[in-house]
Amino acid sequence: MPGFFREHLRPLAGSAGLHLLIVAALAVAAMRWTSPNPPAQLAIEGVVVDGRSLPDSQRAGRPKQRPEPQPEPAAAAPAPEPVPAPDERRKASEQAEQEAALRVKAREEEAKAELAHRQAEAAKAAEAQRKRQAERDAQSKAKADEAERREAAEADAKRKAQAAAAAAQDAKVKSDREADLRRRVAAEAAEEEGAAAAARSGAVDEYRSLLSQAIERSWIRPPAAKAGLECTLFVSQAPGGTVVDVKLGSCNGDQSVRESIVNAVYRASPLPPPRDPRAFERRLEIVFRPTE
Amino acid sequence: MQSVKSWVARSAFRPVTLGLVLLLAGTGVGHAQLRLDVTEGVRDAVPIAVVPFGGQAGGGPNDVADIVAGDLRLSGRFAPLDRKDMVARPTSGSEIRFQDWRLLKSDYIVVGRVVTERGVTALAFELFNVQTGEPLLAETVPVPSLNMRAAAHRVADLVFERLTGIPGAFSTRIAYVSVEGTAPSRRYRLLVADADGFNPRAVTESNEPLMSPSWSPDGQELAYVSFETRTSAIYVQRLSTGERRRVSARAGINGAPAFAPDGRRLAVTLSRNGNLDIYILDLGTQALTRVTSDDAIDTEAAWSPDGKSIYFTSDRAGSAQVYRVDLNGAKVAERVTFTNSYNARPRVSPSGTDLAMVTLDRGDYRIAVMDLKSRTLRVLSDGQQDESPSFAPNGATIIYASQSRGSGDLALVSSDGRFQERLRSDSGDVRDPAWSPFPAR
Repeated sequence: MPGFFREHLRPLAGSAGLHLLIVAALAVAAMRWTSPNPPAQLAIEGVVVDGRSLPDSQRAGRPKQRPEPQPEPAAAAPAPEPVPAPDERRKASEQAEQEAALRVKAREEEAKAELAHRQAEAAKAAEAQRKRQAERDAQSKAKADEAERREAAEADAKRKAQAAAAAAQDAKVKSDREADLRRRVAAEAAEEEGAAAAARSGAVDEYRSLLSQAIERSWIRPPAAKAGLECTLFVSQAPGGTVVDVKLGSCNGDQSVRESIVNAVYRASPLPPPRDPRAFERRLEIVFRPTE
Repeated sequence: MQSVKSWVARSAFRPVTLGLVLLLAGTGVGHAQLRLDVTEGVRDAVPIAVVPFGGQAGGGPNDVADIVAGDLRLSGRFAPLDRKDMVARPTSGSEIRFQDWRLLKSDYIVVGRVVTERGVTALAFELFNVQTGEPLLAETVPVPSLNMRAAAHRVADLVFERLTGIPGAFSTRIAYVSVEGTAPSRRYRLLVADADGFNPRAVTESNEPLMSPSWSPDGQELAYVSFETRTSAIYVQRLSTGERRRVSARAGINGAPAFAPDGRRLAVTLSRNGNLDIYILDLGTQALTRVTSDDAIDTEAAWSPDGKSIYFTSDRAGSAQVYRVDLNGAKVAERVTFTNSYNARPRVSPSGTDLAMVTLDRGDYRIAVMDLKSRTLRVLSDGQQDESPSFAPNGATIIYASQSRGSGDLALVSSDGRFQERLRSDSGDVRDPAWSPFPAR
């Protein structure tokens, strides 16, 4: 376990920091949400805010229907009459009152809109925060899942590779056998068709003597290998002449003799190719029969 | 297969043919396609790599791999790979890359290291067939009282035996006589050294001639002739203590002692009746039994391993030839050698099947071996004055003295004559070598 922490210290620390940050951000947002009398506060703010002082971008966000305040109703009024009629005065005051109310209403509406806007913003931020957190959670989960998946995939791949190798081995054995069979059949056919002629012409005999000479040069004959010795080896060679397998058949020699003849064939590898490729044989039966 | 194939070819019923081919192909049953004979081989030494042992500094007289390789080379049967040519220095089997050593044309490889466990030092070694990768031997040989050379010789013994089927004789010893100085201040020493000529030590020294050492069958004693009293006498000396006894100091000549295989008797040459003859001396009772009674000189007795007969040199036919006498029979000597005009100093091989001797080969005295069954004589050495052949206890090698320009050297020849080598010696004029029996284990 401690090893796990040591190994993953950096990602763990990062993750912890991130969580702390998120929690802090959420706390701030929550505090804003739960602060007492936010509308009043906002209303006061709203009072302070002057539409004209706001940049256009913000003004543009305001409700369109907001009644255009009459900036200077007095100024806009027609020239004063020398003696205003009481009706007119009442009318004027009414108008002023109406205008004031309108202004207040406008301000209230402005504040409301602002509040709504801010609420929307906060909600948006919180949502974004939530989203980011969710994303991060999803990411770390995805990472863990990914690791798991990768492990599983690797194990699977390994299994598959083994299976494939086994299959390939089987296939190779099979194809070797098939090739062997084909070769045998072909050889048989060839024999019928005239490879026998090649044999008769001495190609095989020549190949045989080439092989014998190569092995005789490689056979370090131990003193125990005297006349009367007779040992048979079954040798498989690859098409290039590389000796791939040597099996000892019957042998009346001692261990040093047996080892010497097996080694002789390996030492002679690669075996010489026949001059006539048709004379090539993968399997050889070699009889060691020294004359004194 | 050839015959099967032709039968198949002749077969009229093709499906049967195909079925048979399928069967053969499917089961892998069947014989090789091409048969050939190998009737010759080369007589080369077998290439082997003896990799420097781990756990010890290389070089010096205690370099284990060097000692093992030297022993194997001296046997004549192996050609150790030159250390300079080694591309790797594995010290255990798991470190060997066989393809490397195949490229270096080594058939076998020895790897090992010096190990110390609970205060006991030993040599742990492994032997592999390089061509097949097959492990052939894995053993741990204790190092007796820090004698690294002895342990290394033992390793060589085991490797040699595993590869040839013949016990190695590298842990044995040789006795020989060295002569230093010139008359009248000559110094004779009877020496015993390791089989490779190392560690010579004097058994006895004298200003008068010492000659004809013969090992007791247990390797504990040496019988020899000393002229220290101005006349010849035969002594038997125990090597471990140096204690010795005079066993024959009769009037006239007391010479050519040869321990019987039972270790209780000596065949000796005495001139009791004014004529040299072979006698058997019972070491316990001092009783003498006469073996030959010819008027000619009969000397240089050698026992057959079964103790039933004695081979010796006699000039009864006018020149020296080897004869054999059956101790249980009528004691009529039978002439054994006929090939050359001079055949002398016979020694029987440990198997009892061959006889080594000195023969006069077209004017030169050389070492020859005769197959006792076929009676064919084969000259092995190529010196001019070769003498005193003695078989190694495994019969694979013969040691002899080779005189040239008045001074003798020790030389080895494999008993098949394939291999000859001078043995290192720094002790002057050397003669009369005798190879010890196997040490008791």
